Amino acid sequence: MLGFLFRRLGDIIPTFFGVTLLVFFLIRLIPGDPILMLAGERGVDAARYAELQAQYGFDQPIIVQYFDYLMGVFQGDLGKSFVTKKPVLDEFLVLFPATVELGLTGILFAVCFGVPFGVLAAINRGKWIDHLTMSVSLTGYSMPIFWWALLLIMFFSTTLGWTPVSGRLSVMYYIEPTTGFMLIDTLLSDEKGAFISALRHMILPTIALGTIPMAVIARMTRSSMLEVLGEEYIRVARAKGLSPLRVIMVHALRNALIPVITVIGLQVGVLLAGAILTETIFSWPGIGKWIIEAMNRRDYPTIQGGILMIAFLVMGVNLIVDLLYGVVNPRIRHKR
Amino acid sequence: MALLEVKNLTVEFGSEDKPFRAVDSVSYSIDRGEVLGIVGESGSGKSVSSLAVMGLIDFPGRVTADALTFDGQDLLGMPAKRRREITGKDIAMIFQDPMSALNPCFTVEAQIMEALKVHEGGSKKQRRERTLELLNQVGIPDPKSRMTAYPHQLSGGMSQRIVIAMAIACKPRLLIADEPTTALDVTIQAQIIDLLLKLQEDSDMGLLLITHDLALVSEAANRIQVMYAGQLFESGPADSIFSAPRHPYTQALLEALPERSEGHDRLRTIPGVVPGQYDRPAGCLLAPRCRYANESCVAARPEVSDFNGRDVRCFYPLNDQGQPTGLNTGGTV
Amino acid sequence: MSENTTPSAAPAANVAEPMGAPPSPLRETWDYFRKNRGAYVGLIVIAIILFLALTAQWIAPYDPIAQDRTAFLKPPIWMDGADPRYILGTDAVGRDILSRLIHGAQLSVSIGVFVVILSMIAGIVLGMVAGYFRGWVEVGIMRLMDIMLALPSLIMALAIVAILGPGLENAMLAIAIVQLPHYVRLTRASVVSELNKEYVIASQIAGAGHVRQMFVNILPNCMAPLIVQGTLGISSAILDAAALGFLGLGAQPPLPEWGTMLSEAREFVGSAWWVITFPGLCILVTVLAFNLMGDGLRDALDPKMKR
Repeated sequence: MLGFLFRRLGDIIPTFFGVTLLVFFLIRLIPGDPILMLAGERGVDAARYAELQAQYGFDQPIIVQYFDYLMGVFQGDLGKSFVTKKPVLDEFLVLFPATVELGLTGILFAVCFGVPFGVLAAINRGKWIDHLTMSVSLTGYSMPIFWWALLLIMFFSTTLGWTPVSGRLSVMYYIEPTTGFMLIDTLLSDEKGAFISALRHMILPTIALGTIPMAVIARMTRSSMLEVLGEEYIRVARAKGLSPLRVIMVHALRNALIPVITVIGLQVGVLLAGAILTETIFSWPGIGKWIIEAMNRRDYPTIQGGILMIAFLVMGVNLIVDLLYGVVNPRIRHKR
Repeated sequence: MALLEVKNLTVEFGSEDKPFRAVDSVSYSIDRGEVLGIVGESGSGKSVSSLAVMGLIDFPGRVTADALTFDGQDLLGMPAKRRREITGKDIAMIFQDPMSALNPCFTVEAQIMEALKVHEGGSKKQRRERTLELLNQVGIPDPKSRMTAYPHQLSGGMSQRIVIAMAIACKPRLLIADEPTTALDVTIQAQIIDLLLKLQEDSDMGLLLITHDLALVSEAANRIQVMYAGQLFESGPADSIFSAPRHPYTQALLEALPERSEGHDRLRTIPGVVPGQYDRPAGCLLAPRCRYANESCVAARPEVSDFNGRDVRCFYPLNDQGQPTGLNTGGTV
Repeated sequence: MSENTTPSAAPAANVAEPMGAPPSPLRETWDYFRKNRGAYVGLIVIAIILFLALTAQWIAPYDPIAQDRTAFLKPPIWMDGADPRYILGTDAVGRDILSRLIHGAQLSVSIGVFVVILSMIAGIVLGMVAGYFRGWVEVGIMRLMDIMLALPSLIMALAIVAILGPGLENAMLAIAIVQLPHYVRLTRASVVSELNKEYVIASQIAGAGHVRQMFVNILPNCMAPLIVQGTLGISSAILDAAALGFLGLGAQPPLPEWGTMLSEAREFVGSAWWVITFPGLCILVTVLAFNLMGDGLRDALDPKMKR
């Protein structure tokens, strides 16, 4: 198991450096002088120009610049935002919980609906529920989620008035962030109804974000389940006189979920990309909306830092999923 | 009363109007303490018929029988729940490939204890003790340490012993063994068969031994059934089938045995393969491969009939000299 | 989507075919494809969309960017208060939605096709070089692709657009770059498995040069998974381009790109359902059609699935 961990870490390290290199050169590739761009239309005089150049290290050779940047990254220094002048990492950490919260509810939604429907479709192969699940799944998979979010708002918020249109909490409440997770913070607070309000704000973004992962998970669960159901050990389990429910839930599902876990892990990237669109539409104060705003303002340090953090996040989650895979799959765990 | 009584068991797949009969009106019975061998090539329907007895034929397949009773209870008529109480407890089954018969996600212990839990209850401690006892019984060295092993850590022979332990956990009265040694090394095969026969003798079980290995079945079984393409071709006591086959197919199978090929340059084989779903002949199913076949064999299918105290499905059953009877010309070899 | 579609061993064509001439590979694939109802429907829808895209200039009733100041936000003709001239209604500045959608088809189809062609050509060359020459060239190229795959595709595309600046051409280039690793990986995997086949060795002995080996001898045997990936790539290109358009970083107004139309329509989410519903529906149907066809092609071309 330890060897497995080290091997995976060994795979990740070159990618890690590669990503920093990529993000570092991202900024250098921008046409135009970054300092002139920073200065804006007012322009700078030569002395101030040199000063700024030294401050940002642009007068150094490119290798040195990269090395400095890398050192900064290791110390948690991702630079300062051009716009707010605050450290990028600080801004990221403030907004990050909101995205995590949305991502977690989204993946929860996807798993809670995707897995059961995938299983149902598999055990009712060729019947209407299978066709329905597969059609819904294929549609969900092809869905432009920004449109899907607008449709949800149009129907549930503006027509039926069931859910709020945007934000994380009704303006009636003010909650001091302690964990950053609105659902937890509101539960901890004394404000009555704040939790319900937070929950109601979550529903539509969760559905919008969770739809594509749900479709993917349902498809994967179905095909994996179909494969497992054809295995001999399922027949053996039935020959033991176990109830069909037990055969499916204990013997089949456990094996069928092994590839599904990998797919769930792969959805983290999909979720983060989806978060950009979802957060923009629902005015959700997370890192997706933050990066888009930074792009519109050409706030390069923020774009750079944000992308780097997202890359780290995806790599980290993939590593965790790989390890988890070893836990659920004894065949991998015991491999030396 | 026979332990298991099967009368005209038929299993069909495919559409209602153009069904494929994997098993065609097969009848047999087995008593407690008896070993019945079912012999046939791959595709002869011997596995499917045993799956039908276990109630493991799924939806597109249709199982019908004039009678399918275990200990006097009608297996086909009873509610599914009642039937599951019998399967795994009173009737147990061992499958062909031990490596794929064990669930890769669970330990040996968990898989054996599961059947005990479902059928006998008891405390976890009791079940664990019983599991240990079973592992001892099936001859697993150092059973304590094997309890928590995962299937991928076991060899094929070891896995088959676990599978057997799993099957006999609830002291079944009938054990169905479907090619229990086919997937194993030759050296292990005899051990496993000996183990099965010993278990059968000790607990007076009925044992249904399904195999394509005629030599094996001749040593182990009291009675033998020969199946071909879903049909029963010949049945009778083991030694008499061996000494005097009545069906040309049985004769051909016996001649294909290596020990009977002494003096020949090469092993004798039966040309061709068992007909599948689409290439069934209109007459006797064996006709294309039978050395004695004539026009009447091609024109019509023979029924099972009594010949010298044996059930044989052939127009021209063989006499003690191995020559077809009732053929005017005598020998069309 | 699966970049792990295993490279097909050149299908040993119908060894077991007992009678009659074996059907041609193309014919056989078509037969499999046609049995898949979803794929067939997808193909028909794609044909319709292609037809609309090619004939947009003549079919669309109005100029897609012409504004009618007498008809702002008119609903579709089956609603109350509709303007009978505009079948699917008009948008906030009085442009005919139907005409914009038809011209949007032209844009989306060209985005999809152009992106995939660009990305595929570059991907095939890189993957071929990596798989053919092996060694450090391969390590370098494949590592770079791993790094690109570490970022979610939309975020990677956003980063590239952030460098190049917003606009349709830049968005297309960004999406083409984002899709690159899939083609590189597929090509390399196929090439590596083909490289040891006897026909390759034979033509090497016959004196075929590197370029001939790579593109004349090996490449045609690697095309099946690439074609599948390309079809699926068109759908994700259309989807990503629409997303970029929606975020204001892709096609710029007044271009009738579907995502851009949605972006302009966002503020009418509570008042004019038609300006939101129709463009999104077009994206969904187009993407769905390409996905269906891609899945069908995969099943038809994958020799493992046959029989």
